[in-house]
Amino acid sequence: MGTVHAKDKREPYPHDTEQQQIHLDGVKVRVDKINVDGLSRTKDDIIIATVKDLFQAKDFQEVILCAQKVRGKLEGLGCFRNIGIFIDTSSGPGATPEGLEVTFHVRELKRIVGGVNTLVGNNEGSLAVGMRMPNLFGRGEKLHTEYSYGAKKTSAFTVSYTKPLRGSLSPIITGTVFQAGSEWPWSGYKQIERGLLIDFGFNSAPWIRHNLQWEGAWRDVSCLTRSAAFQVREQTGPSLKSSVRHILLLDRRDTAILPSSGSLVKLTQELAGLGGDVGFFKNDLCLQGNWTLLPDMVLQATLQAGFLTRISNNLNVSICDQFFLGGPMSLRGFNTRGVGPHKDGNALGASAYWAGGLHLFTPLPFNPGKGGFGDLFRTHIFINAGNLGNVYLGQEIPTSLKAYTKTTRLSYGMGVTLRLGQMARVELNYCIPVLFQREDQPNPGVQYGIGIHFL
Amino acid sequence: MPSVLLTESLALELGDRTGNSIPAHEPWPQDVKLFQPYEVEQILLPDNANCLAVQTFLKMCGLDFEVEQRSNAEYMSPSGRVPFIKCGAFLIAELDPIISFVNNKGISLSDKMDNAQKADMRAYMSLVNTVLANAELYITWCDKTTLQEVTKPRFGSVLPWPLNHVIVWQKRSQVVKKLGVLGWAHKTLDEVYQEVENCCNALSVRLGNQPYFFGDRPTELDALVFGHLFTILTTPLPNNRFASIVRGYSNLIDLCKLVEKEYFERTAES
Repeated sequence: MGTVHAKDKREPYPHDTEQQQIHLDGVKVRVDKINVDGLSRTKDDIIIATVKDLFQAKDFQEVILCAQKVRGKLEGLGCFRNIGIFIDTSSGPGATPEGLEVTFHVRELKRIVGGVNTLVGNNEGSLAVGMRMPNLFGRGEKLHTEYSYGAKKTSAFTVSYTKPLRGSLSPIITGTVFQAGSEWPWSGYKQIERGLLIDFGFNSAPWIRHNLQWEGAWRDVSCLTRSAAFQVREQTGPSLKSSVRHILLLDRRDTAILPSSGSLVKLTQELAGLGGDVGFFKNDLCLQGNWTLLPDMVLQATLQAGFLTRISNNLNVSICDQFFLGGPMSLRGFNTRGVGPHKDGNALGASAYWAGGLHLFTPLPFNPGKGGFGDLFRTHIFINAGNLGNVYLGQEIPTSLKAYTKTTRLSYGMGVTLRLGQMARVELNYCIPVLFQREDQPNPGVQYGIGIHFL
Repeated sequence: MPSVLLTESLALELGDRTGNSIPAHEPWPQDVKLFQPYEVEQILLPDNANCLAVQTFLKMCGLDFEVEQRSNAEYMSPSGRVPFIKCGAFLIAELDPIISFVNNKGISLSDKMDNAQKADMRAYMSLVNTVLANAELYITWCDKTTLQEVTKPRFGSVLPWPLNHVIVWQKRSQVVKKLGVLGWAHKTLDEVYQEVENCCNALSVRLGNQPYFFGDRPTELDALVFGHLFTILTTPLPNNRFASIVRGYSNLIDLCKLVEKEYFERTAES
């Protein structure tokens, strides 16, 4: 009571000042008890492992920050729909004087979740029927099946099982069985791929994600029409690829589609030939940087490059392993797969490529619909360059590299892009190819692209 | 207006025909290639018979070609069956289409024959194609011992594990389905041998004492019969009753020997 009296005397607005004066990190507390309310099938051990960091908190500020962190981790388990935090002083037997009791109110996800959705893949729309069984055995395991049928008659089936492991690197193991069919009319072939993928993902630093994968895939390549090039026909038939892959991903962009800042580094290395009859070593690099020059004006620079080399004369490299370049999402101003070696109108692909793009994104002129629908749109001007060709290791390197540097393709243009949710993007561009070779298929004029990964 | 359109479309069609279809008067090119599976380790009895028949036919016509062996010949073929030939930009698979392709070039083995003989020849060719070809498929894919001991190892020899098992199984179910449609899948082995016996008997009677089926000159039928019988005689199988049935007809054996001497030994020497 004495304190209240003293406060009244000192300050006219005691309440406000008192709030300013309290330093949360100065309030020593001890977390006595953590309750997690609403658990039914989630196992205790993973919950204990997730929440026990909270006992380390020494003052009230730490408790609040730590509780938020724990909430993030609980969400990361993929078991719960919404999570509420409730902090109270502890009571009952065993309560210490500065003791706190933290309660997490959780709601578990349903045992089975299904849906029918339309997907927008790379230049193709498809209908997908999916079913998910989250938190299957109470430790965040997930079983996911999906069947999709595409507008271009591609059908796909996947069953994947994901199990998060405990540990500070957030490791996750995923096993996937898949079948995917795809048609490549630009190359005159279609492909059915059936296989098994085992993926082990972990973080080596807060932003750096690694994926170690093994993939065994049975690919059936067949000609799409009778008029397919003989060079494509020669590569038809079944083949079996068994490969290990390492993917390194560093993504500091603020959003995946039309970011305004941040950079992306993705490095993929694949070694095929551990069993099977396909053998190669494939490297693929993707770099992207985004800078906001003026408010709403973003400069984006992208560089992609890949190189594939055979590892043995006894093992084949199929047309479906090669690199291709060109198209509305790749080197604009060319037909899809329209750059590089062609035979009878069919793109044959090659063993090395590079492609770079410089884009300047701005809002629509006069900014219609600002703050709402108009924000989904951007205009951009761009310049794209790249090359696709065969580079051979050994003594032929100087000659093949020389030919490679002399035949750079270049195009520029401008257009409008539309963001579809946080996943995909649509582009309508007017492109002008400037540098191209005789075997290329340049496509000057209006070009339309829809997809996820753009150059 | 409609009449004008009609003429135009006709002209277009004619233009198409001369432009894209088989050029009638173009000579046989030099670089014709015949694609087939590997003869030593891969090819199976029915495919081998068809490949040999096409080779014999082309040799009888005196046309040059080069045999290319590819492990994926079956998948490369536009019809999904071997053999096929690549003649310039054209790909033609199987014996009958190849015969008509060659006929379009003005080359024929049966042009001296009258219509009745031609119809006769067609009938016997269809007999061989239904009976001998199906019997070969039956032995290769439906007879358990042959399937295990010959077909699986040979068919799978060019495929990596575990595809060698999966694709053999896939191919077998395709063949069994096809034989089922033709009413052959439920036959017993003895019934199949009986069919072969009947077919050989009919052929033997037709051949009689002539060197070839239609006199002194070989025809498409001789090429086809040689392709099948020579392959049956020379392919080692766990059960060689198939070959011994054929051996029972000495005039058919003589035909095989004659064709082999005329068209295969000569090229081997040169």
